[in-house]
Amino acid sequence: MSEHFIERSRYLCALGGAAATVTAIPGAIPILHSASGCAGNFAWTQNGGSALQVGGYCGALTTPSSNIQEHEVVFGGDERLREQVASTLKVMAGELFVVLTGCVPEIIGDDIKSVVAEFSSEGAPIIGAETGGFRGNSYWGYDLVLQALFRDVVAKSSTTESTEVNLWGIAPYGDPFWRGNLEGVRRHLEQLGLRVNSFFTTRDTLDGIRQAGSAALNIVVSEVYGLGAAALAAERHGIPYLSLPLPIGPTATAAFLRAVAHKLDLSGPTVEAVIAREKSDYFKLLEPLTDCWNDLDLQRYAIVVGDANYAGALTRFLADDLGWLPELTVCTDPLQEEEQQRLVSGLSDLDSGYEANLVFETDASQVIHHLRKKWPAGNGGTYHNTFSPAFVVGSSLERELAQTLGAGHLSVSFPVANRAVIDRGYTGFRGGLRLTEDLISSIVAGR
Amino acid sequence: MSYIDLKSAPKREDRLKACIAHGGSVCDLGGKGKKSCLVDDGERGFTQGSICLLLPALAMLNTLPDNVVLMHSAIGCGTCTHSQNANVRFGGNVRWGKVKDGTWLSTALNETDVISGGDAKLEQAIIEADKRYQPFSISVVSGCVPGIIGDDIDTVVKQVQPLVNAKLLPVHCEGFKTKIWATAYDAVYHSIGRTLLESTTSEKGAGEGGDAGLAPYQGLERLPRTVNLMNVSSMGRIDELELTRLLTGLGLAVNVFPVFAHPEGMVTATQAALSISTCPTHDDYFLTYLEERFGVPYLLKHMPIGIENTGLWLRDVARHFGAEEQGEEIIRREEAELHAALAEFRPLFTGKTVFVSAGEFRALATARLLEELGFRVVGIRSFHHDAFAEGEYEKLAASAVEDYPIDIANVQPFEEVNLLKRVKPDLFLGHANGNATAAKLGIPTHVIYNTGLAYIGYRGAYDLARRLARQRKNPSYNRRLAENLRLPYTDDWYQSPPFSYINTRGGVTA
Ligand code: SF4
Repeated sequence: MSEHFIERSRYLCALGGAAATVTAIPGAIPILHSASGCAGNFAWTQNGGSALQVGGYCGALTTPSSNIQEHEVVFGGDERLREQVASTLKVMAGELFVVLTGCVPEIIGDDIKSVVAEFSSEGAPIIGAETGGFRGNSYWGYDLVLQALFRDVVAKSSTTESTEVNLWGIAPYGDPFWRGNLEGVRRHLEQLGLRVNSFFTTRDTLDGIRQAGSAALNIVVSEVYGLGAAALAAERHGIPYLSLPLPIGPTATAAFLRAVAHKLDLSGPTVEAVIAREKSDYFKLLEPLTDCWNDLDLQRYAIVVGDANYAGALTRFLADDLGWLPELTVCTDPLQEEEQQRLVSGLSDLDSGYEANLVFETDASQVIHHLRKKWPAGNGGTYHNTFSPAFVVGSSLERELAQTLGAGHLSVSFPVANRAVIDRGYTGFRGGLRLTEDLISSIVAGR
Repeated sequence: MSYIDLKSAPKREDRLKACIAHGGSVCDLGGKGKKSCLVDDGERGFTQGSICLLLPALAMLNTLPDNVVLMHSAIGCGTCTHSQNANVRFGGNVRWGKVKDGTWLSTALNETDVISGGDAKLEQAIIEADKRYQPFSISVVSGCVPGIIGDDIDTVVKQVQPLVNAKLLPVHCEGFKTKIWATAYDAVYHSIGRTLLESTTSEKGAGEGGDAGLAPYQGLERLPRTVNLMNVSSMGRIDELELTRLLTGLGLAVNVFPVFAHPEGMVTATQAALSISTCPTHDDYFLTYLEERFGVPYLLKHMPIGIENTGLWLRDVARHFGAEEQGEEIIRREEAELHAALAEFRPLFTGKTVFVSAGEFRALATARLLEELGFRVVGIRSFHHDAFAEGEYEKLAASAVEDYPIDIANVQPFEEVNLLKRVKPDLFLGHANGNATAAKLGIPTHVIYNTGLAYIGYRGAYDLARRLARQRKNPSYNRRLAENLRLPYTDDWYQSPPFSYINTRGGVTA
């Protein structure tokens, strides 16, 4: 890992993540206060990395943007923003407008808060977030938008509904499987009898988001993303939160559901009944694969390369449920020391007893060096215990690695350039089956 | 002093008086009483996000083999490369049978860097990149942030160059500094010229050509039958091959430049007998330079999109080499064959209306081609406007049955949606990420630029016709979208005149 650069970053800037997040909120319109190129840069990025999903109701090149230039850099951009917000309210049809700032206005010191306040005091449904690109990456931008929602959109509630929960931790477009992944978790929570606000699915509404303050629990299916918003919601709305790994497949999902039930004091039988039924379905469905699983020798050594959510979640599924051998796990996010610790300890005690090997490396080209530490290249001798048959579960940037190793490959974590994803998801019990299908299909594609 | 002697290329609004905000009509811009918006470019009071020069610049730089792109900016700038990488992979494969990802890096300037400056970080990044990847060259590309905090990539490059093996190409892409993203081509060409084509030892910078300054780089030979075919990434390999086929028909050897050209071999461009542009919007800056510095004359008038335009383009080249008859023979033969082949499509297109949107020259040339195929043009959006396009507007004004709107806009789909609701075309052709609005209105759509598809020359005309016939045959995808989705605009907006926001910025009314 270099201290001076990041190779082919697998995320955008805070503004990019924030813009994508706002696009995913039902009826919301982002307003960028930035230079003209940012919106297009995000559109092209999604085009190449988000499994062919670009924009939505209002995203990509449709996004209103103040497009500030040298004039504003010299004289300040507040006036221009004021004008842009006023005109946006006339031209664009939205239920919520979210002003997001880019690098340029933040460095020159524009005061977006007061501009936004002017409009909201006149009754416009508008909020703002400071998301300058130098503040962090797109996952942080995602968090900042959620924080803004809890600050300025979610109503304070005097009552707590014991069966209501909010769910987040999966960044729209940053996780190409965001819709399916949110829905997969949501479905299981509903099986527990809970009412779920998950912000971004087709079943969510802005009203639901406004009422999120009465939830009994905030469930963040990430050990890193969205925790700022969880802390803010705890402080402002008194809602406790549970940060859990992204649950993929039966083992992780059962643990996830038990943790939620425990935290909410849900009576035992319901959760165990749900788990039992889902498990039984899962294995009945898996059963007919077993002959070919054996006949075709489908067990693989694996390298997992993913963001802070996927690195652990995929490793866990491969080790605990699929019975593969994830010998190396690479988390490509640049994380703080304690975030890294959290991920490491989350993988230290796998249900299967498999010993995971997690490293932090932002640069794809360096993954092979990490592998070679444990699995040296062949020595040319007749007998050599090589890293084979192998499979790389990562992003589309791992295709070269897979080729070098003669390994199979599936893109799951951003960027996913070579798959089309609409609402496919890997979370929950069924998600484990989807992932199994996709992994095995890619192995047998030439059959 | 020429532009090339400056640190960075001037922006096009200064150099060419190019503009991006005008609502007019084809008779306005190309007719008798034509008026140009070059003098009084207005600003919009409402704008949508667009691209900046960084994006097309990276589209070029990422294709260069053995070159590493090092972005110097916040982490988001340049992530567009994720989509451009598809072109890098595909383009490498069709040219060399090898699929390889581009290599792009970012110094990812953070809050601390914004306060204390990023020069030192950049310096270390260059040194480390040189060591790790051992590339022939490293393009050091600056985005908005260094432009504001006062980082000086040129000085850093100068200081670090002696410490590294890679040639360092500083490229200025501070997005806020120009609204004309076509400045990107100048920025990249500028750096190629200064770094790869100018002698680093000679103060004059004109190589060993000496005072005459009109010989190829450092005493290399002139190649009397070699032409530079300029491609800044707006053509895919299939289009390059089509033009190469036509040029070899005239007995010429073709040097495609600069995309996918190895930086080490770029000096060949100074040896050519002629440079041929495929789009004046792209190449004027560099071709003037090649002529001034190395005595390579150039052609910069026509874009070989469309039947007539391809003929005009080829004729100019033939004339330059005294091969008029050969040229005429090729054109006659190609046109006869093409017209016969197009016959089956014509009835499907005749009288159907079309709206076209793209970079100015491409939009206009494609509009002419669509007319040749039988369509009636009812609206055009050009991403910017400059004087190079005037001839094209004249051609279109002459062939227009009725006047129609021309929207000079750096995309701005709100104007487009308003226009489309009025003119209701039977077909829409838009740029990458620019077809969704028309699609959601249920209009059959087709992409006007994609490096995997043919657009150029005679082959391009035929292939485009085939694809349009296909789109028109079953536009159900778009029709169903329109039945079930709504666009994010207010009803009020649809009732307002489409150009209501032009010239309104800062409270000025038109
Ligand atoms: S910050 Fe500036 S350089 Fe970067 S994408 Fe936005 S406009 Fe372009």
